[in-house]
Amino acid sequence: MEENMEEYEEDTQEGKYLTFRSGNEYFGLEIRIVQEIIGIQKIAEIPETEDYIKGLINLRGKIIPVIDVRIRFKQEPFEYTDRTCIIIISVKNTVVGLIVENIAEVVTINKEDIAPPPSLTHGNAKNKYVYGLGKVGDSVKLLLDPEKLINNEEITLFERVTEEAEMATEEGRSE
Amino acid sequence: MAEEFSTEGMLDMYLYENGQLLEQMEATTLEKKDDESFDEATINEFFRIMHTIKGSSAVMMYDNITELAHKLEDIFYYIRESHPKHVPHMEMVDYIFQVTDFITGEFEKIKNGNEPDGCPDELIEEIKAFLEKIKNNIEKAGEKVPEKKETDNVAQYYVAPVANVKSQFFLLHIYYKPDTQMANLRAYSTIFALKDIAEDLQYTPEDVVSNAESSDLILAEGFKMLLQAQASKEEVMKLVDTSSEISSIEIDEISGEDFLKGFAENEDNNEVIDLVSDVSVIQERAMAKQKEEDKNEEKKSPQPGDYVIKTKEAGKKKVLAKQSKENKEKHQQNFISVNVEKMDSLMDLIGEIVIAESVVLQNPDLKVPGLNLSNFQKAARQLTKFTSEMQDVIMSMRMMPLTNVFQKMNRIVFDTSRKLGKEIDLQIIGETTEVDKNIIEHISDPLMHLIRNSVDHGIEDSKEERIEKGKPEKGQVVLEAKNEGGKVFIIVRDDGKGMNPKKIFQKAQENGLISDKMVQSDLTDKEIYQFITYPGFSTKEQVTEVSGRGVGMDVVVKNIQEIGGRLDIESTMNEGSTFTLKIPLTLAIIEGVVMVVGETTFVVETSAVKEFLSIKETKFIKEPNGEEYVMVREECYPLLRMDERYHIKDAGQEPDKAIIIILEHEEKKVCVLVDRLIGEQEIVVKPIPTYIKRVDGISGCTQLGDGSLALILDVGGLV
Repeated sequence: MEENMEEYEEDTQEGKYLTFRSGNEYFGLEIRIVQEIIGIQKIAEIPETEDYIKGLINLRGKIIPVIDVRIRFKQEPFEYTDRTCIIIISVKNTVVGLIVENIAEVVTINKEDIAPPPSLTHGNAKNKYVYGLGKVGDSVKLLLDPEKLINNEEITLFERVTEEAEMATEEGRSE
Repeated sequence: MAEEFSTEGMLDMYLYENGQLLEQMEATTLEKKDDESFDEATINEFFRIMHTIKGSSAVMMYDNITELAHKLEDIFYYIRESHPKHVPHMEMVDYIFQVTDFITGEFEKIKNGNEPDGCPDELIEEIKAFLEKIKNNIEKAGEKVPEKKETDNVAQYYVAPVANVKSQFFLLHIYYKPDTQMANLRAYSTIFALKDIAEDLQYTPEDVVSNAESSDLILAEGFKMLLQAQASKEEVMKLVDTSSEISSIEIDEISGEDFLKGFAENEDNNEVIDLVSDVSVIQERAMAKQKEEDKNEEKKSPQPGDYVIKTKEAGKKKVLAKQSKENKEKHQQNFISVNVEKMDSLMDLIGEIVIAESVVLQNPDLKVPGLNLSNFQKAARQLTKFTSEMQDVIMSMRMMPLTNVFQKMNRIVFDTSRKLGKEIDLQIIGETTEVDKNIIEHISDPLMHLIRNSVDHGIEDSKEERIEKGKPEKGQVVLEAKNEGGKVFIIVRDDGKGMNPKKIFQKAQENGLISDKMVQSDLTDKEIYQFITYPGFSTKEQVTEVSGRGVGMDVVVKNIQEIGGRLDIESTMNEGSTFTLKIPLTLAIIEGVVMVVGETTFVVETSAVKEFLSIKETKFIKEPNGEEYVMVREECYPLLRMDERYHIKDAGQEPDKAIIIILEHEEKKVCVLVDRLIGEQEIVVKPIPTYIKRVDGISGCTQLGDGSLALILDVGGLV
């Protein structure tokens, strides 16, 4: 019974993305990894950490680190207001909060509407976290790879090159 | 319904209840092991425990446990009724331990889903022989038959002739509380309690054991029994009224004819069980034997067996016998076992309530000028008080004192020292130190190894050796727990031989742990001692039953590392060794001083704080290289500005409130400058998520009363 429920849930989550705004762009996260969305909270800063790690929040007794997505994308920091949200995501047993300017909506993006991102050679900081471009009507959502987003290590040049190569071959295959 | 009522639940209850009883018995035995003999109350308690275990094991059809418990019960019964003068106390203790060990072992098998297949026959024979030995020690035959039963809650050993004029007939009607679980099982234990006095017994519903649904019937209509026994109404009452789940009992005396009619409503289905024959046969035999033995009025000299620990100092007794007996009995009733997951979610909820509360109380809507809030404030204070109390209670629920673990060690010392023929005094200090439940589970084994090592390897093999060295005759082993530097320290110290670094170094070289080129002076003694924690490393030439095979220390270290702890070894030749387990503070509650720097809140463990000082900044001594010092009473301490150390912005806004805290860690002191103090409170330590890389000097974080987070300073990382 329970197993069926799970499967059912999995199905309803398929292809759904939570979108949020950061700067002028809209980003999408697979709904599967999103645990909950909470308003901005008091953040306890941790000294001597990366600048994009804003600190820790206390969510019902659980201590969760939070990341400022704007700073992560090397964009200008922004003032936190009532509209600011924290998206709690869980990726491979790591629970992290993402501070975003505001939540847009949940959209369904079909697989065929997802295009690979533009080449990274002249890409800016945020592009390396994007694994695809999702078309919803006229607008485009940048779909984020959560693992890369929260990963502490900056992607090395080598990895970027190999990734590009992989991407290229995949593109070739899909065409 | 039937599915819900699987044997699982019954089994759980059986294991839990009897496990507790066994623990209780072991603890009491340990407490009294150095006395001359067990007092009457203890014997009664043991008798009751064995009786219960016997009964419930029989219900569960664990025959081996039943038999063994029965045998031990016999001994207590005999002691209780006949007051034999010479009971070799040490042997008694030994048998109790053997029995509890056996049953605990069987329980372990049951828990793991195996059949309890241990064979207690040998032990039963030994106990039988022991019983006879006690009996032979009786001086006068007259003492044998107890005229009156002082405490008779269980009048058990009536030989039951089937038809006796003295027999009384009773109709029992037992009602259980409506929420009683497994009423059928309870009913069966009542049958079992009566079995020993019953000459004849009928009951309805008759399928209490095989049919789980009878539980409902019992709850609805009560449990009816017809009893033929040579006992008064009060005696029957006493036997029956053992369960707290019973709401009322009706006992009516009836005539023999009524008894024979059985339950009028459905006579045909009634099953008459003849519990009498088997019991009575056994008992008749036992009685006969007893009589025969009692004819031998030989007086035997006191039995050997008390050769190790005979007396103890008053002080030690106090430490071990912490709770009085009455307390213990109450305790047993007051415990319930709760799923840890439920506790966790409760704790989460409380966290949320605390946050919600502060949201309400500090709601901006309340800040409208001119609002009269005095009633609101009053109510709010009340609420705050209760929520914080609730939080404290829930946090403390996960914490358990080390008492139980330490008591177990007492047992280990006892066993080991007896096996090795050494006399050991175990001193226990700080056993009320509380640690998280999870940690307790992990330290029991390592501690056991350490204690064994101390007794076996540490303490000298003979008294003479010790006396020669000017040490007390008995080996001293100290087991100590304390909170220090945000960690729980568990220390095992002995005053034995100590370790020889040279020997260990050589052995390490032989085993290829270090290259041949190394010389001993390349390593500190402390580093050399660490070699004994390598697998297969033992300098003891002879392997004993207890230890020396070189497994053990590596297990200790592995277990401790699993919970993020560390083992420190110190030793002085001929003076003894000290093993210190440093268990991380994860989830341990510590007393902390809360302080603020800029926007960041820090907590430092109270025990690390030596002093608070308020010194004007002009009094600081500044070195040309930028280092600063503070002079306090002719002593010079390095100064650490927290805002500079951790690059905290907006610090030092109110220089008036700035305060210096002198922290101490392992003899080193440092002055820390913070913006202001908040106060002292108990905090529950939580680890910083691994996602964030380790920051020097910060060992964890904690949730303060208002739901905000504070960082815990690791003084060791600051100095």
